[in-house]
Amino acid sequence: MIAYLIRRLLQAIPTLIGITVISFAIMQLAPGDPIQLLTFNPDMTEASRTKLRQQLCLDRPMPEQYLIWVLGDFRGECAMRGLIRGDFGTSFYDKRPVLEMIAERIPATLELSAVALAFGLLIGLPLGVSSAIRRGTWFDNASRFSAVVFDAIPSFWFGLILILIFSTRLGWLPVGGRAPLNVADPSLLDRLRHLAMPALVLGVGWLALFSRYMRAETLEVIGQDYVRTARAKGLTEWQVHVWYTARNALVPIATLLGPAIAGLISGAVVIERIFSWPGLGRLTFDAVVQRDYPIVMASVIVGSVLVIAGNLLSDFLYVIIDPRVRLE
Amino acid sequence: MKNKWLTWLVISLVLALALVACQPEVQQVEVTRLVQETVVEQVTRIVEGEEVVVEVTRVIEREVEPTAAPIPQGGFIIESSFADASQLNPILSADSASSDVNSKLYLGLVTIDEVTGEIIGEIADRWDVSDDGLIYTFYLRDDLLWSDGEPLTAEDVKFTYDAIASDLVETPRKSNIELVESMEVVDDYTLQVNFTDVDCTALNNFTLGVLPAHAFAEDFSDIMDSPENTAPSVTSGQFVFSEHQADSFVTLLSNPDYYKGAPNVEGWTYRIFADQSAELEAVLAGEIDVTGVGPQYVSVIESAIASGDPLEMKKFFDDGYTYIGFNMANPQNPQPGWEDLDEDGEFDPDEPPLEQEPHPVFSDPAVRKAISHAIDYTNIINRVVFGEGVQAVSNVLPAVEWAYDETLQPYPFDTALAAELLTEAGWEDTNGDGVREKDGQQLSFTLMTNAGNEVRENIAQIVKDTLESEELGFAVDLEIIEFGTVVENLLGQTYDAVIIGWIGLGSDPEDSNFWAYRNDSPGGGFNFVSYYNEEVEEKLNQARSLPGCDTGERGELYRDIQAQILEDAPYTFLYVPLGNVVWNTRLQGIDPQPWLTYYNVEEWYITP
Repeated sequence: MIAYLIRRLLQAIPTLIGITVISFAIMQLAPGDPIQLLTFNPDMTEASRTKLRQQLCLDRPMPEQYLIWVLGDFRGECAMRGLIRGDFGTSFYDKRPVLEMIAERIPATLELSAVALAFGLLIGLPLGVSSAIRRGTWFDNASRFSAVVFDAIPSFWFGLILILIFSTRLGWLPVGGRAPLNVADPSLLDRLRHLAMPALVLGVGWLALFSRYMRAETLEVIGQDYVRTARAKGLTEWQVHVWYTARNALVPIATLLGPAIAGLISGAVVIERIFSWPGLGRLTFDAVVQRDYPIVMASVIVGSVLVIAGNLLSDFLYVIIDPRVRLE
Repeated sequence: MKNKWLTWLVISLVLALALVACQPEVQQVEVTRLVQETVVEQVTRIVEGEEVVVEVTRVIEREVEPTAAPIPQGGFIIESSFADASQLNPILSADSASSDVNSKLYLGLVTIDEVTGEIIGEIADRWDVSDDGLIYTFYLRDDLLWSDGEPLTAEDVKFTYDAIASDLVETPRKSNIELVESMEVVDDYTLQVNFTDVDCTALNNFTLGVLPAHAFAEDFSDIMDSPENTAPSVTSGQFVFSEHQADSFVTLLSNPDYYKGAPNVEGWTYRIFADQSAELEAVLAGEIDVTGVGPQYVSVIESAIASGDPLEMKKFFDDGYTYIGFNMANPQNPQPGWEDLDEDGEFDPDEPPLEQEPHPVFSDPAVRKAISHAIDYTNIINRVVFGEGVQAVSNVLPAVEWAYDETLQPYPFDTALAAELLTEAGWEDTNGDGVREKDGQQLSFTLMTNAGNEVRENIAQIVKDTLESEELGFAVDLEIIEFGTVVENLLGQTYDAVIIGWIGLGSDPEDSNFWAYRNDSPGGGFNFVSYYNEEVEEKLNQARSLPGCDTGERGELYRDIQAQILEDAPYTFLYVPLGNVVWNTRLQGIDPQPWLTYYNVEEWYITP
């Protein structure tokens, strides 16, 4: 298993390099000059613009800029030590190390995504199994209908409706933010109150998807011989579904986890804006708009690593769920 | 049935009268200021022929002033914003969010009057100007302290402006000191500023927050990357820095050493929202104390106030305007506005203006004027900005009263006149395709604006629909694109026409950045419409460097300039937006004025 892990990690390196080359090229080829945006101010002199362009190495050809970003500037003109030395660069706007800015925001995004994923899994999977068991009943129809509706609802709309109901009208939950303002040590309850709406909005689509998949997979296995055998052994319905039906139906669900993690991270871009959640999504969105290349590139790397990690996690879960599968 | 209704009516009336009669009588109680007091007086009495001093106890009445209820102390003022304040060094910040926070942390040498917009002293108590207008002597207050207890002196002011001038510092503020030759510290509280030329905007350039010299390296080497830029430890304004969580909030605490007295509140928090709708909901939910809302939400706030929500709103004209800008030079071959005699790519004062290749459509003033006549300004203001604005006439804002020409009439909305102007200029639809032509050139252009700005997108659609009418015969391609691309096309001068706006123009009408030929520089200059008018150029220079800077004389010049710019129509001036301040009524003492809201924040308090 360790050999497999090492092999997969080594395979990830060219993937990452490919992703960074393509992202860098797309960003540079897109119209919009970061210096012009940075200095869109009538008071900025042309000489200052030129100097700034030199300081940020934006006066070099694109391939050279990429190499500087990866290897550092050997001429020492633009204070870049390069990715290989752990330097992700400095934000054009905030003039702060990008790694520091990303590190500040990752916990918020991971917290939101993890809770949303847990919410989707913990409710979606049992809901899917229950629907399959009660196939054709009002419960099944209602859950299938809800799944389609929640899968289709645009998250920005759903988020605003929740704010309108639970914050403005009822005053139960705060409109946004990660914790109450000016409170030194917020309680767990306070944190959960802030997390409730964004996690619900981010997780509800995945809940719907998981329940639909789980229902379909459960229906597949529910008629299998081993389920009948389990019943014949005298197991209770509960034991049959937990140990035989659900466990076997879970195998394909594990493959969904990789895309789910990627989806949650990208979905967080919208959710974090609506709920003023100080995460990576907001930082990346603003950086793309402002052409803050170092932040965009760092976010691409972080996103890619998370997706690769998600896929690896899927592989390992596969083995845990289905003992017949071996990692080789 | 009729009788039944009548019976009910009579019963209701009787009941109503009975209820009114049962109400306790409301008595007007007069608040008296008279109090009774028992006093012991020594009185001289004659007892048996002798004077004797005895003590007499008397009850007297005297008038007293009622003691005012103590002003509640503590609590945080929560203000909402869209953007994060990332640069807390006032000489480096250029974005409005950072400037907003910096204005509460640092005092300026001068500031602006909240009502008139005139320059008044802040660190400077007063100042003298030499007869030739080249030397300003500032006399500073001697009671100002930094939050660490150090005195704020002329050295701090000199350090701040020397830092801006330093080669080690890159900042848009360099233009603030363009005409400053030197600064001399006469003594701790006297500063002399020598100018190379008379600069009537000089005082406006000294409103920047002053840095604590002792918190930075003497040679300015750490200005660009000092930790003071993100978490200042020494400040002089109403507040001191406490905490900044990126994309979430900035919190400042009351400065006990503030020279007008420590604010009543414990602190101020700048809460950052990324979504306008969510911000509005936070205001309605009572989570925000003070903010400004977009024009589309003004009616929501007004309804909330009408239905009893604890909110108040005050409106003022913004110091900016929205316009359609026309590129008058050929976008296929952007050129600088001057003859680059020494071919160094930079403007030198002796380089004359260059007659550039003309734009195929917008070099014709008749086309620009026709568009200005074709726009239904009232419709745009009512439908797009929900009535929250007034038609802009020319380049000087109504708020700058001493320079604004009230008599100047804007282009009236008259599509027939617009069509007539086009026909007279030779633009006619000769081939019957619905689009006018002249000398083989179609009357077509691309109108660009930034995606995501709903107001501008809607204006663009209205302008396109109007101009493409049969009567006017334009062909308009809309280009609704991302802001970064708009900026690139605009500064690169590779566009035809743009809908955009200026904000934060300030209280001085000097705006040669937009009209002077030295600023017509593809890639960076803000005269991106390639405007040149010799008379305007001359008067702009005169108005900026008029000896004595008399506002009466400068006003005359600016009135001429705005009339000429209106006539030349390099922009179609659309509207001056109406901004607003919305606040929750638990916040008391707030009294927003046209130019400033926070000028008296130390007096604000939060009711329990």
